[in-house]
Amino acid sequence: MKEGWLQRMKGIVTVQVRGGEPEALVNGALQDGLSLWSIRRTSPEHMVFSLTVPDFFRLRPYLRRTGCRIHVTRREGLPFWLRKARKRKFFLGGIALFFVAMYLLSSLLWNIEVRGNKAIRTEDLLAAAKAEGVHPFQWEWKLPEPSDLAKRLAQRLPDAAWIGVEKKGTRLIIQVVETKKPAVRAPRNTRHLIASADAVVTRIIADKGRPVVHVNSRVKKGQTLISGTIGEGANTATVVADGEVRGLVWYEYDVVSPLERTANVYTGETKTKWSLVLFGRALQLTGYGKDPFSASQTREQLQQLGWRGWELPVGRLKETVMELRQERRQLGREEAVESGLLQARADVLSKAGADAVVKEQKILHEKTDNGKVYMKVLLEVDQSIVKEMPLVQMQGE
Amino acid sequence: MGKLNRKLRKWTADMLDLPQDVAYDLPRMTMIGDRQLYIENHRGVLHFSSHQLRLQLSHGVLEVSGADLVIRTIWTEEVFVEGKIESIHLMDREGQR
Repeated sequence: MKEGWLQRMKGIVTVQVRGGEPEALVNGALQDGLSLWSIRRTSPEHMVFSLTVPDFFRLRPYLRRTGCRIHVTRREGLPFWLRKARKRKFFLGGIALFFVAMYLLSSLLWNIEVRGNKAIRTEDLLAAAKAEGVHPFQWEWKLPEPSDLAKRLAQRLPDAAWIGVEKKGTRLIIQVVETKKPAVRAPRNTRHLIASADAVVTRIIADKGRPVVHVNSRVKKGQTLISGTIGEGANTATVVADGEVRGLVWYEYDVVSPLERTANVYTGETKTKWSLVLFGRALQLTGYGKDPFSASQTREQLQQLGWRGWELPVGRLKETVMELRQERRQLGREEAVESGLLQARADVLSKAGADAVVKEQKILHEKTDNGKVYMKVLLEVDQSIVKEMPLVQMQGE
Repeated sequence: MGKLNRKLRKWTADMLDLPQDVAYDLPRMTMIGDRQLYIENHRGVLHFSSHQLRLQLSHGVLEVSGADLVIRTIWTEEVFVEGKIESIHLMDREGQR
């Protein structure tokens, strides 16, 4: 039999039997339930076998009966080891200390991991956990139940929709799902909507408040369009008036448009310079010397070596210097008027907002003088004419 | 065992196709090459030395000869022998066969 752990716990003795009738000894011992193993003859007179310590003490009557004498040759297992260990107290203490330390250290909570938080700061969460008695180097047996802890943490953190706590060995993982909050809107004053300019109303839609004017009614600048006071008599209330009001607004422009224009034109003459680019630094290779052009514009093209999103720090830079020439151009009257009108429209649109539409344009007066065209232009623009006017609460009314 | 009893046992063994050792209290030997021998149903050790092991059976004697024989394990009805086994003899109670 291969000595198992049970035998080792009991202790194993190997004995040498001398004289008498060893076979009878073996038979007798077996009959009584003693277990012997590794029985062999070392010489005609000597037999060797192994047995456990308790069995060894039960062997005595059979020895007497069969006339055998025994001599212990080898001792093994826990009882003998303990006897030896009794002499090595510090060694034994060390082993015990090792196991105790191992147990204690593994029952500490070593770190806390927080996952899934964006708006909630990790420090806040850890502070909440600490208030619940959960912090690094806390004893495992002092920790509350994970489900319990999750519930109480969720109570402490109203911004968390759900909190899950999971313990993995010496790690505690806190998983957070945050509540989605609507964007905070700045509080608004109760107000009227008034006209920003003299206009004729083309469209009025009141989302909130009471519309005061109608389509096609003429309004003056500052006149109330949508009122913030609603209700009648004693049942009045003030609200934040909101809505869309569009109207036709007239703009008068004095436009000056010169008949002579200067423009920069490429002559077609170019000069190319090549540079080698290494690690973001360029080393010019060709095209040294002064540029031969009095006015010029430079265009740069960088080509970098690379493969599939990988970029090598090596490339080449092509600089093209292009000659410019100023050209004077004489415009016809029509062209000058057209460009003047365009200018006026662009200006009015930038003032009236992107959704403004120029409905009509009229040249009221036109004069050509000193190489320029002087014009008076009337533009009819359909635009939003809304302006806010906060309502001041009248107290005691 | 009475004669009737023996007959009944034989009949059952034949009918149920049981192994003979179960029916007749015979030894069963399992041998692995010439190095391991496992004997069930023995009745005690008669003689044991490094070159010979004699076991009492219910009917007769089993003699194992070889060299460096070691009883690895022994229980009341089973023996596990290791060593270089050269021959196994089955004998009557005293005589040879």
